[in-house]
Parts: sequence; structure tokens; C-alpha cells
Amino acid sequence: MESLASLSIKGFIEASFVDWPGKLCSVIFFPRCNFRCRYCHNGPLVTKPDMLEDIQFSHIMAYLQRERAWIDGVCFSGGEATLQPQLPEIIAYIKAQGFLTKLDTNGSNPELLKRLIDDRLVDYVAMDVKAALDERSYCAITQSARVLDRVKESIKILMDSPVEHEFRLTVVPSYHGSEEILQVARDLNGASRLRIQNFNPASVLDSSLQSLKPFDDVLINSFQQQVDDILAH
Amino acid sequence: MGSLVELKERQAPVDVHETTDLTLFVRTSSENLTGWDRQKIVDAMVREADVPSDVANRISLEVEDIIVKAGIKFVTAPLIRELVDAKLIECGLEEARKKHTRLGVPLYDVDQMILHPNKENANVPHCPEATNLTLAEGIKKEYALLKVFTADVGDAHMRGDIHLHDLGFIDRPYCSGQSLEYIKRFGLSLPNSLSIAKPARQPEVLLAHMVKFAAALQSHFAGAIGWDAVNLFFAPYLEGRSDREVKQLAQMLIYEFSQQAVARGGQAIFTDINLYWEVPKHFENVPAIGPGGEFTGKTYGEYEKDAQRFVWALFDVYKEGDGTGRPFFFPKPLVHITEKLFRTEGWQDFLHHICDVASEKGTTYFVFDRGETAKISECCRLSFKLNASDIEDAKSPWKMRFSALQNVTVNLPRLGYRSKGNDTALFNNLRTMMELAVKAHLQKKYFIESLLALGDTGPLALLTMSTDGSPYLRMHRASYLIGMVGLNELVKIHTGEGLQESKQAIKFGLKVISEMSLLCKKYSEMYNMHFVLEQTPAESTAYRFAKLDLRDYRDHAQNFVRGDVATGHIYYTNSTCLPVGSNENPIERVRTEGLFHPLIEAGSITHIWLGESKPAKESLSNFVIKVFRETQNDQIAFSPEFTNCLACGRTVRGLQPTCPHCGSDKVDGITRITGYFTKISSWNKGKIGELRERNRNKGFFAK
Repeated sequence: MESLASLSIKGFIEASFVDWPGKLCSVIFFPRCNFRCRYCHNGPLVTKPDMLEDIQFSHIMAYLQRERAWIDGVCFSGGEATLQPQLPEIIAYIKAQGFLTKLDTNGSNPELLKRLIDDRLVDYVAMDVKAALDERSYCAITQSARVLDRVKESIKILMDSPVEHEFRLTVVPSYHGSEEILQVARDLNGASRLRIQNFNPASVLDSSLQSLKPFDDVLINSFQQQVDDILAH
Repeated sequence: MGSLVELKERQAPVDVHETTDLTLFVRTSSENLTGWDRQKIVDAMVREADVPSDVANRISLEVEDIIVKAGIKFVTAPLIRELVDAKLIECGLEEARKKHTRLGVPLYDVDQMILHPNKENANVPHCPEATNLTLAEGIKKEYALLKVFTADVGDAHMRGDIHLHDLGFIDRPYCSGQSLEYIKRFGLSLPNSLSIAKPARQPEVLLAHMVKFAAALQSHFAGAIGWDAVNLFFAPYLEGRSDREVKQLAQMLIYEFSQQAVARGGQAIFTDINLYWEVPKHFENVPAIGPGGEFTGKTYGEYEKDAQRFVWALFDVYKEGDGTGRPFFFPKPLVHITEKLFRTEGWQDFLHHICDVASEKGTTYFVFDRGETAKISECCRLSFKLNASDIEDAKSPWKMRFSALQNVTVNLPRLGYRSKGNDTALFNNLRTMMELAVKAHLQKKYFIESLLALGDTGPLALLTMSTDGSPYLRMHRASYLIGMVGLNELVKIHTGEGLQESKQAIKFGLKVISEMSLLCKKYSEMYNMHFVLEQTPAESTAYRFAKLDLRDYRDHAQNFVRGDVATGHIYYTNSTCLPVGSNENPIERVRTEGLFHPLIEAGSITHIWLGESKPAKESLSNFVIKVFRETQNDQIAFSPEFTNCLACGRTVRGLQPTCPHCGSDKVDGITRITGYFTKISSWNKGKIGELRERNRNKGFFAK
């Protein structure tokens, strides 16, 4: 645990009802990301992590010990959690304390993902898929070049693994039309679940998007329905 | 407006007790001085206020002199009475003046009432029926303070040391919880009713009886009407009925109670239905009553499946919401979470189903009965724990009925202002207030008993009917509620820290509530009555106490009342709750608030404000199980917020300034005010102040 003391943790939710379907979990947020999605809803975590206060790992562990009757598991999120070299170590540590573990990732680090799965360190993985799986779409959204192959590899690793997982697509008006959304579902042929998440304008990375109105709930439900239909066939 | 002739008629014949004749007479009377008879004034003073006849005679002459000298053409009975009262004061006959006083409402106030809504209770609409209710309440309130309670009790209420709830309903007990078995077995035979119905043969008829009986009870009780194990007691009528018919019945039940805005004062009946997935242990081996009031030959344990079909269908209807997708305000579904639930097949799906409704509409109440506890819940949080004799009653469940006679709330922050940080002074002051509350209960009890003594020709004939061998209202088993408002503020005033700020503050809060609970036990033994603590729902009391303290203890109180002092949107934190705006997570809130619940025998609740968020049903269900296992919390509810568009009729989540569909600004917000849902436009200023500060737990329930 001493080696984990230097770990940089920038956010902590004590009890989330939404990050892990069916579970009550705590969420740890790591700083920095290798993508620059303009609609990212954790903007400050990505662009100016140094402005955010560090949260002591010992404080988090004390909380988890106290609440072990309530908290089923811990979700590792960010920024991009797989950029943390100590990630396997911290996950292993928390798992050893008897908590379930969940990883949120953008899929840009298939080697680490594979290692976490092979070492049975994660019980659940939620992987963001940002756009249809072609170079142009992916590059446009993430503003990062040459990531698509790595993302595809991560998708394959997850689909081939026994670990429980879901893919998530955050949909943003003017970025994702219904055709793009359905294309993502077709590209994920064989996946068990693609969850459609609505855009959230609060703390958005590109402040010009603050006034962008999210999709209507009815529309989100209909996207989800169509996506489910595609994946079912 | 009354007339002089009204005065004349009142004293002859001497023993007229029925109001009907007088009213009829007044209607036909002319309002002028013809028929002036000074003797009537004398008689009234002698009869009503025991004024010696020579004094009365002298006063009447003086009053007559004033009237004649003034040269007034028309004189009204109220004016004469006021003139007489002024003379009584001059003669030092204050006691006589009080007895001779006239209860009424100034013209201006009536004007305001007819034109503007009453915001003391958000469950009262604005319509002529409601105005009648407000007017009657106003007069009965004055009557109560003058006639039922002694001056020390009445003054303490007026000052805001304590609050006597539902004074306008002084001639009724507070609330009632009962079992459908009574009407299943005996049909509907009410005193004063024009016809008598035999026990129902069809479920639809049973429902009709239930609704009518609830309405009859509403006109005999001030507050909530609760029903025990509704899905189970309907079950013998549902055997062989298709799922579609069961759903239809569920829909009828919910709409019948949610649209009862035609009953007393245009008020929906504040209805609670207690529901179970399992067959509660105390009903398992009880012979079931079915169509025609006959025993079916089976026990309730054998009706589990039909009871489950019904409760499932009820929640299907709750999930859909009303015609515009709004949550149903009534009947409130109180689901009991018990050890047996978790041993009953299908519990997980059921829990997901009711959590789905909680997330979508907020309607579900989760009532925790741990260990051997069994209870019936109603009102905003009130519950009656079943004791040994109740469990004995359960063998013949038509006998099961529960009533609280009155609720008196103590203004805790005021005790803080008065005690100046001194523990001894604080606990002495607390005891004084509790004694006053007990005194108020004794006085109301005495009054209700005097009405009940009039038997089947009295005003409470319905409550004396002895269809099953004992009166419907069993006085010796009634509860007397003592509530509290603003524990959080008291602790802050007294120790410098609010409940959410430190463990010491919580400890001190628990000490105060333990003391109140101990005092209740002591008085219960002393008077052989059942005094119990309840978390006062405090829909308007939290506002009234804050307002009065700001007036009388301004320098001190302005630092402690919550909300916005400048605009008057002020309030105290309800009962023993943590401040609505404090940001601890829901686990912390249910656990910390739950520490107080075991001390509050007659019911508590923790509200978890959801705002716009819709957490997954599986996660809520996970949480509910842990609240049952890991805390002492009595009851929880999740409260989402809605916006209903009056222009296009659609309902969306969250409180929005305009309709996201049609852009109209004619919208009304909907959420829980205290223990029930209402439209925000009907809220008083204090609760609006509270709403602005509620913590919607966004970090925990939304991404």
C-alpha cells in the first residue's frame, strides 16, 4: 500500500447508484486522458488535472473499510485509468480487500486490458466506443491519430473474454446522427450490449458546447431500442 | 350575516339543540329592528354566561341606550353581542365575556378566502367546497382554543411553543387505520346513511364499499385513512379472475382514490394502502373472508398467489402514472419489507418492480419491519406497531383498527433560545413543554369522550357503532402523538454544531429525543394512556414556528432559521431529519437519520431526493435491502421531481421553468412536500424555501 501512496487520484464518489448496473459502488477518478473528445463531461480532469486537489488513497481505503457492508465494488474511471502505470497494483490491492472491481476505459490500451482480464483483476469492464469504427470518424471525435487499431483490439479482447462487460456510446447532437449510431451497433457485431448515453453539458471540455441541448429522452430510448435490435440479430 | 331575530330564536324554546331549525329560521327572518326585545339580551347573558340577572338587566339597558342614541336603522346580532361584551369587560366580568363571545370571520377574510387558495395544507384545492372547509375550520379552531383547551395550552399554541395540529377538526380524532375485513364481513351499514349494503360479492363492489367507507371516515377523522394488507384482503375475491381483470381492478382502485377531489372540502382522501408480497405471518393461518362475507374455508396463507397478482398489477398502474404521466398522489402504496419477504418466491422480481416505480415515479414507500415487528402505516409517516393484543386481534382481522387522537408538536429551537446553552435549563424546558403537550391531549380526550358519550344520536355516531361488539373507535387503545420540529436547529443553537457536523451533535440530538421518549413512557404509565413520539410531517408547522421565532426571538433566530429571511421563505428542518441541503451520501443519510427512528415509536421516514435522476431499479433494490439489513431506519422513499405542462399536458422529469416540448411557461412542478406528492404551486413559503435547498444527490444518482 505504501507504493500506492504516491498515486494521483483526482476524484472520488463514495456511493454511486449509476456506474455499475445493480451494484452500489465507489468511483475513483484518475487524471489525464489520451483522447480529446470535445464533449467530454470530465473536462477539467483531462485538461488541467493539476488544478484539482489530490485525494489520499488512505482516505479512500478507510472509507471502503468502514462501508464494506454497503459498497459492493469500486469503479476505476477517469480521465483514462489505463494511463496509470500502477493501475494493476491498485486494483489488485482493492480486490484483495474483498471488493469487486470495474474498469472504465476508452480501449486505447489493449495490453493492459488483456493483462487485467488474464490476471482476473476486473469483474466488469465498461468500454467507451466513440464513433463508427473507421479511421476518419474516430480521429475526428477523439482528436487523436492512430488509435483505431488499438480500440478494435480492445473490443476483440473483451468480446472473446468471459468477463462481464458493456460497450457505451455517448451520443451528442450534431456529432452523432441516427445513422452513425446504428453504424456503431453494426460495427460491434457480436457484442452483447451497447449502452446509449446522453450527452451531459456540465463541465464539458469544450465550453462552446455548454449550450448544446442533449437529446430528448424519448429519442435516446428509441436509439437504444434500435441498437438492441441490431445486436440481437 | 346573523340577525337580531337569530338572537331571539336562540332562547325559545329553551331546549332547541338542533342547528337545522335555527338555520331555517334565520333564512326566512328579516334583518331589521322590528321585534327588538331587550329581554332577549338579558336571557342570552344569563343562559350562556351565568351573568346574574340584575347585572344582565342593567347591561341590556345600557346597550339599548347606545343603540337608540346612535340612531342606527339596522342592527345585527353580532353588533349587539359586541356591545354587550364591551359592557361585560367594563363590569370586570372577563370570564362571562369569554363565554358570551361570538365566533366568526371578518368580511375581509372571507373575501380573501373565497378569492385566494389556502396554503396551509397543499392537499386542499381552491374551490367553493374548500372555502367551506376553511371557514368551518376557522370557527372550530377558535372554538377549540376557547372551549376545549385551557388558556395556558391555547396560549402556548398561539405563541408557537407548541403546535396543536388540526384544531379546525377539534371534534374528530386525528387519523385511522383499519382492515378491509370490517366491510367485507359486515357490509356497509353506516349511521345516518339512507340504505344498508350487505357484504360485497364482487371485487368491484368491495372496492365501492371501501371508497365510501373511506369517505365516511374522512368526515370523522382529521387526517389519514390507512388500510392494512389491501392486496391480501382483496385476494379471495380475485380467485379465477384473469390478469386483465385484476389489472382493471388495480386501475379502478388507484383512480378512485386519486380522483376523490369531490369529498370533504374538495380534498382528496389522504389514503394509504399497506401492501405485502408475502402473506404476513400474523395472517397466515387466519380464516379468509370471501364474497358475501362468508368464510371461504381456506386460510389467507392459501391466497398468496392472488394477493401477489394484485400487488403486481397495482404497481403496473403506478408505473404508468395518470393520464398525463404524472405520479399518483394517492393512495400511497406502503410496501412492507420483512424477513419473510426474502423467503418468499419471486421477491427479487417484485423488489425490482417496485424500485422501478420508485425510480420512475417515486410513488413507492419502503416500510421496514425487522425481526418480529409488524405494523400498519399511514399518514406521512405514522405507524402503529402491533402489540400482543393486536396480534390476537389479527385472528379476527375485522377487529383491527388503530387511531391516534391528536398530534401536538414541540418547537425545539425555541427551547434552545430560552435555555442559553445550559443543559439543565434545556431539559427542564423540554419537560415543561412535554407536560403541556400531555395536558393538551388530556383536554382533547375529555372533549372527544364527551361527544362519544352522546352515542348513536351524537355527532360521532359512526365511531360508536358497535357492529362487532366494540365501538369502532376504541378509546382505550388510542394513541396520543407528540412530535417535534427542528431538532437539527436546536442542537446547533445549543452546541454550536448542526446534526450533520459532528458525532457529538448527533449524540446530543439522540439525548434530547431519548428524553422525550422516556417522558412519553412515564406519562403513559401515569395516565394509563398511550403517549408516543411521531416525526411531525410539519408541512406548515416548520414554517409557522420559524416565523414566530423570527418575530419573538429575532436576534437569535435570524441566525438559525433556514431558508431566506429577506423574502420570508423560512423554515426549520423537519423533526429529527438532517438538513435537506447537507451533502452526505444516501447511505450516510439513511443510517444517521435511522439512529433516531427506534426512539420514535409512531413512525419516521427518510426522504432521498432524486431530482431528475433515474437510478437503475437493480441498484435501488440493492440499496433497499442494505437499508433493511444494515440500519435501524423505519421507512424510506425516493422523491423525484416532475414538471407538468398545463398547455400541452405532458409531464417531464426535473423542475423546468418552461415545457421542453412546447416551450410554454405555464408549467407546474410536482414533488413530495413532506410525506406525499403535490403540485408545488400549492406550497406555503416555508416549504418553497426548503425546496430550493434540497440536495438532489446528483453525484450519486446521475452521471
